[in-house]
Amino acid sequence: MSIIFVLIPIALIFVAIAIFVFIWAVRSEQFDDLDRQGSNILFDEDQPPLTKKHSTKSDDEL
Amino acid sequence: MASNSSISCYHCGEDVPKNLNLEVQILGQKRPMCCQGCFAVANTIIESGLSDYYKHRTAIGPSGAQLVPEELEKLTQYDNLDIQAEFVADSGEYKEVLLCVEGIACAACAWLIEKQIGNQDGVLRLNVNSTTQRANLHWDPTKLELSQILQDFQNLGYQALPFQTDQQEAFYKKTYRQHLTRLGVAGLATMQVMMFAFALYGDFFGEMDAQFIGYFRWVSLLMATPVLLYSAQPFYVSAYRALRSGSLNMDLPVSIALLGAYSASLYATVQGHGEVYFESVSMFTFLLLLGRLLELRARRKASESSTNLLKLIPKVANRLDTSGNIEVIACKLLKVGDIVRVRLGETVSADGIIKEGHCSIDESMLNGESLPLPKTVGDQVFAGSINHGQSIDIQVVAAQQQTFIAQILRLQEQAHNDKASVASLADTVSRYFVAGLLVIASLCYGYWSIYSPDDAFWITLAVLVATCPCALSLATPAALTIATQRLSKHGVLVKTPHVLESLAALNTIVSDKTGTLTLGQLELCCDHSLSSQDLKHLSIACSMEARSLHPIALAFTKASKQYQLSAIKFDSISEHSGQGLQAYLDNDEYRLGSAHFCHVRPSPRDTMIEIVLCCNGTLLGRYYFKDQLKQDAIEFSQYLKQRNIELQMLSGDTSSQVFSYAKLLDISVVKAGAMPKQKLEYVNELQLKNHKLMMLGDGVNDGPVLSAANLSMAMSHGTDLAKTSADSILLGDRLMPIAKAIETSIFCKKIIRQNMTWAIGYNVLILPLAATGNITPYIAALGMSLSSLIVLSNSLRLNKH
Repeated sequence: MSIIFVLIPIALIFVAIAIFVFIWAVRSEQFDDLDRQGSNILFDEDQPPLTKKHSTKSDDEL
Repeated sequence: MASNSSISCYHCGEDVPKNLNLEVQILGQKRPMCCQGCFAVANTIIESGLSDYYKHRTAIGPSGAQLVPEELEKLTQYDNLDIQAEFVADSGEYKEVLLCVEGIACAACAWLIEKQIGNQDGVLRLNVNSTTQRANLHWDPTKLELSQILQDFQNLGYQALPFQTDQQEAFYKKTYRQHLTRLGVAGLATMQVMMFAFALYGDFFGEMDAQFIGYFRWVSLLMATPVLLYSAQPFYVSAYRALRSGSLNMDLPVSIALLGAYSASLYATVQGHGEVYFESVSMFTFLLLLGRLLELRARRKASESSTNLLKLIPKVANRLDTSGNIEVIACKLLKVGDIVRVRLGETVSADGIIKEGHCSIDESMLNGESLPLPKTVGDQVFAGSINHGQSIDIQVVAAQQQTFIAQILRLQEQAHNDKASVASLADTVSRYFVAGLLVIASLCYGYWSIYSPDDAFWITLAVLVATCPCALSLATPAALTIATQRLSKHGVLVKTPHVLESLAALNTIVSDKTGTLTLGQLELCCDHSLSSQDLKHLSIACSMEARSLHPIALAFTKASKQYQLSAIKFDSISEHSGQGLQAYLDNDEYRLGSAHFCHVRPSPRDTMIEIVLCCNGTLLGRYYFKDQLKQDAIEFSQYLKQRNIELQMLSGDTSSQVFSYAKLLDISVVKAGAMPKQKLEYVNELQLKNHKLMMLGDGVNDGPVLSAANLSMAMSHGTDLAKTSADSILLGDRLMPIAKAIETSIFCKKIIRQNMTWAIGYNVLILPLAATGNITPYIAALGMSLSSLIVLSNSLRLNKH
């Protein structure tokens, strides 16, 4: 049972990390738009090069 | 058209007109489009490689209406540096602006905008919030103009405009973030403390090594400390403030219980004997913070929706220099003596005297007058009124702070400062509760210190912890939060917390007329069916009025759409200000206007406005116009009767129309022709006579009185001043949402009472147990969380009502 004297401090370290991550998330406005962040992962960040060409073309048209 | 043959637009969801064949290849299929606008938007999206938008959107997009050149020109006014000074922050390297974006329906819209506009050269940062429908933009003014970016939004089908943020909102935002951090800390710590607490509860049923008990207590102490010192801070601050102003509030017993329980537990941990209440301290803080956070969020949302309504329209004036050239400048740079040209449809930018031209001026927003007044050289015009006639040149006699509208603004500010705060039910109850609790606790301590001095401290502490008003503190915020959300759904935005309670106690509603009870637009009254001859004459009248912006002309335009009349082209049309129009077609002279203008005998009907059409002196037709009551105005007044709420009318209009509407709505107390100051005095007088009243209004002239009334509601289409002055905003053109709001507020009050009864009842039940020394920490924690849960779930019933 004395292992608990080691395990609990380790758990506390994790809690401290969790608190800091939470504070960071609040500060970086991740809680300001809850609808948004949930679906952000669905969108592809990288576009295929072919459409990039189109995009410059459409900018010219505008 | 048969319903099965209608196709809806893939982009905006509207029906595609027949014979229109616009298609765009999206996600591997040809998709139908309803108009050129949507077609252009969809093409832009696809060509930019952003078809993911269609894949992941959860709501259909905004219709891609295109701007006409005049509107585009208006956008360039936002590039004026004097105008920008009002809403743009300049950091030297880049400029920053907050935009309100109309048309954002889901997260995909936000992504689309960020991808399409954010990737442009010159846009440094673009952050779109889909919940608040806002975008934060940093751009490089040397590479891009703001108007170009705004136009890019338009090309995607969204309308983005700068708007006025208010201080209240900035305050909400800051407090919300702080509360969220505090809640997070409290939540994470509570989980840990509860874990150890359960282990310690185990000790009541079995044996546990003393070294483990001590260890767990120390760890709990470590976790509960940040909760007490950081998370619970708002309670201490609020309690301290109340004490300093000589009153008691609910946060006082909360603070006493928290600090008492914590210091006793600290003592017990150090000494190694006695009870610890760390789990109660943490959980209690967590639950209370959660209640406050939800309340804050609901209020913040309503406040954001209402500030989104305050579009920042550039206030510019066309100043004429000495050589007669027009120069567009910001209104605030106007000086007395400047000559300003006001064109058709423009807002007058400063108080002035007409130097050239004649026109009709719409002053309805300033004085409630329903019809535009004819004005000519030498007449005075006021800033904020709208020119419905030909363009005029005015000489500025008062600019900025001296204008009539600025005087109204000052009256409004003063009224706002004089407003007495309303004591809420929770405040009143908490005062008695706190006093009672403190008396009982000291009696308890006195009793036990005589009979068993060793236990006195612990038992008093148990009393304080067990009766800690957790459920009582949650009783009001929980119910208010849910009710506020419900009202938002019904179209009533609540800006201040006392609105719901005041609504429930309402016994008088004082309402403005034009734009509040009525639609504020004239309509052609037609009580018989029209023959083909009548229709022909009507189409002549409609064609003559087609180019004017006068309210009567707008009513004709509406009628021409209703009867699907075709337009007639005249050889010439001239306007006689304040009288009517004269047109020529094939040597025939047509006159449209007052009976006097057409040289025929007037035949007035009721209080309606009569317009006569004649050709070469022979009468062709008489038309009657009236500002229509809102669709559900009569239903609304009947509802108020039934609820025993008196409806009064307080209008700036001087015409006899006021009384005819009053008769229709069965209103007995009517005050017509009231100036802003008189309105203010009237409402203040009623409030002194102890009327629980609500003021409804929409104009600039209603600003002061909306500010002064205990409870006020502005119409969403009303002036900005009305919207910022009022406590709540009514969206849409109907009045019945107010009735819904009253119903909800009454039910909400009932729920709050039930919650309080239960919370106090629980405290009364637990008190004897605590006072006799029969409460252990786990019973205190269990009872507290159960009573809080009951209060919360009771409040949720508001959603089902």
